Amino acid sequence: MSLKPGEVNLGTSIMAVEFKGGVIIGADSRTTTGSYIANRVTDKLTEVHDTIYCCRSGSAADTQAVADIVHYYLQMYAVQNGAPTVPLAASLFQELCYQNKDNLMAGIIVAGWDKELGGSVWNIPLGGSLHRQPFAIGGSGSTYIYGYCDAQFKDDMSREECIDFVKNSLALAMARDGSSGGVIRMAVITEKGVERIFIPGNELPVHWEG
Amino acid sequence: MEYNGGAVVAMVGKNCVAIACDKRLGVQAMTISTEFKKIFQATPKTYLGLPGLATDVQTLAEKFRFKINMYKLKEEREIEPRTLAHLVSSTLYERRFGPWFTEPVVAGLDKNNNPFICNTDTIGCINFAKDFVVSGTSTNQLYGMCESLWEPDLEPEDLFETISQALMNAVDRDCLAGWGAEVVVITPDKIITRTLKSRMD
Amino acid sequence: MTSRLPSQAKGGFNFDNHVRNAAMEGKGAALPKATKTGTTIVGLIYKDGVVLGADTRATAGPIVADKNCEKIHYLAPNMYCCGAGTAADTEMTTSLISSQLELHRLATGRQARIVTAMTLLKQMLFKYQGHIGAALILGGVDISGPQLYTIYPHGSTDKLPYVTMGSGSLNAMSVFESRWTPNMDRESAIELVKDAIEAGIFNDLGSGSNVDVVVLTKDKVDVLRNYARPNERGVKEASYVFRRGTTQVLKTSIRDMVDIKETVESIATSTAMEVDAV
Repeated sequence: MSLKPGEVNLGTSIMAVEFKGGVIIGADSRTTTGSYIANRVTDKLTEVHDTIYCCRSGSAADTQAVADIVHYYLQMYAVQNGAPTVPLAASLFQELCYQNKDNLMAGIIVAGWDKELGGSVWNIPLGGSLHRQPFAIGGSGSTYIYGYCDAQFKDDMSREECIDFVKNSLALAMARDGSSGGVIRMAVITEKGVERIFIPGNELPVHWEG
Repeated sequence: MEYNGGAVVAMVGKNCVAIACDKRLGVQAMTISTEFKKIFQATPKTYLGLPGLATDVQTLAEKFRFKINMYKLKEEREIEPRTLAHLVSSTLYERRFGPWFTEPVVAGLDKNNNPFICNTDTIGCINFAKDFVVSGTSTNQLYGMCESLWEPDLEPEDLFETISQALMNAVDRDCLAGWGAEVVVITPDKIITRTLKSRMD
Repeated sequence: MTSRLPSQAKGGFNFDNHVRNAAMEGKGAALPKATKTGTTIVGLIYKDGVVLGADTRATAGPIVADKNCEKIHYLAPNMYCCGAGTAADTEMTTSLISSQLELHRLATGRQARIVTAMTLLKQMLFKYQGHIGAALILGGVDISGPQLYTIYPHGSTDKLPYVTMGSGSLNAMSVFESRWTPNMDRESAIELVKDAIEAGIFNDLGSGSNVDVVVLTKDKVDVLRNYARPNERGVKEASYVFRRGTTQVLKTSIRDMVDIKETVESIATSTAMEVDAV
């Protein structure tokens, strides 16, 4: 299933990692229409609840629409039932992505903090399946960093180690993938809330550049 | 649009407007009538030109006749040309995903006798013009003729000559339009309808 | 007795002609090209608000259909929307959302927010999965300050400090990327918008004619229609008016306009029928 002509694409490298105390999510900032970069400072980390975020990849229109719907459902749930959990949010995303799989092109990583599980990361690739993982990578740029991530990841990293892990992985993906680039946006989600980190293009970690 | 052929043009003059059409009806290459006029009177001071697919021309002419009559009954006054243009636009846009094959032209004088012309594309995008509008199969030729011949503030008699020459020479370069022409000049005190002597080939 | 009158339209799209049109296309009768606004449209945020700009050319295929069309549409007193793509779609979509915003304003009793318009527009366009070809730049000032959004035909949106859309967007964006700075003053902002649109007008085939500018601030809106006219037509060298009588006429019919004056003449002079008659 490919993008329709003229449709805006979140080419993307997105990532989410569980660490002690919460999760860290990160994304590049490039949105393309064909080969033109429509937005070079996109925020692909979208809030669906106070401490639950999603990373969006695929069609910009589809992922924005789906995220808006989940945001609405979680608001209603919170008012009626109290704070939602991350698996609940992930489940809502899954329902939408699976039941509309023929009409959507959306690869979403749901990550956040809740009282029951602490931090958790849930990967929902194109078909609408749901996978809980200690860390998840997604988007077109992720294909270039599977090896790097498998080698570098370890359980129970500290916050700083985690930030470096995400930063380096995304920088590598952005260097190799044409559809990813711009700046790195990250968010650290813990019990205390969300802390945003912004790394401009000229401060990206530099690896072998040839 | 090229199935039946046809051309319509409208121009603005000094306190008057003129609208003209050819009279051919064909089925692709075969001409089957030379009396198929494409301009219809909407109100005493406004005309509606409908070139394009003949079945849609006739259907829309009737649909608009109904809508204009209903407007008159409800509002107890004649519809203004600008309002008619928007009525045409929404009627066409309603069929956005299965359009009518016609690009209407509206020409008339408003209640203060100010001239008004416009045309729309098949889905209702209005082009308000201050000089001239063209529609049908001879649009390219008509654009060329009108752009050269038109000048502002033409008297009704001169406007008639200009629009007639523009139409006749344009349709002479179009196989699918021609075979007679009719020109209507609308002024505050009269409407003059003339049938032109033209090439019948 | 059942009425056989054709019913008045209930609003919304009517798909009745679809089957017939599809069959015709199969037989080779192609659908005529709808008017597109080839277009260069831009918007930027400056110190006091938002400046929107657009060219004024509307095309039907390779032909210029309208040399001076208006691409900056009114949405609400505090927001305007530039439209690129299929002209009928941008016109109809913006006027539909403008009506919805007016109703919203009446229902809530307050100025509408830019995000409200953005959400109404994006949800409508997403519903039609890109078949409504409207690419919009929405700009305005509300209680949260000046905001600028792009809305694509498939329903995705971006919130940015400066944006360009349309076939001339790359031309205009190069001007913006070189010269935009945060907190510009009004004159430089308008000048930058004008230069960006002119880059589109002169270098993009789908854009042309004049520059329209709209400046929106917290207190007022300035609509500068035809702010720049860099493509004025040269004076015609000769008059091509024909001698009266050139065209041969077969038949003339004249219908004189009769001025109908209606007066009401009262026949009865006595007041016996009046209510207050004693």
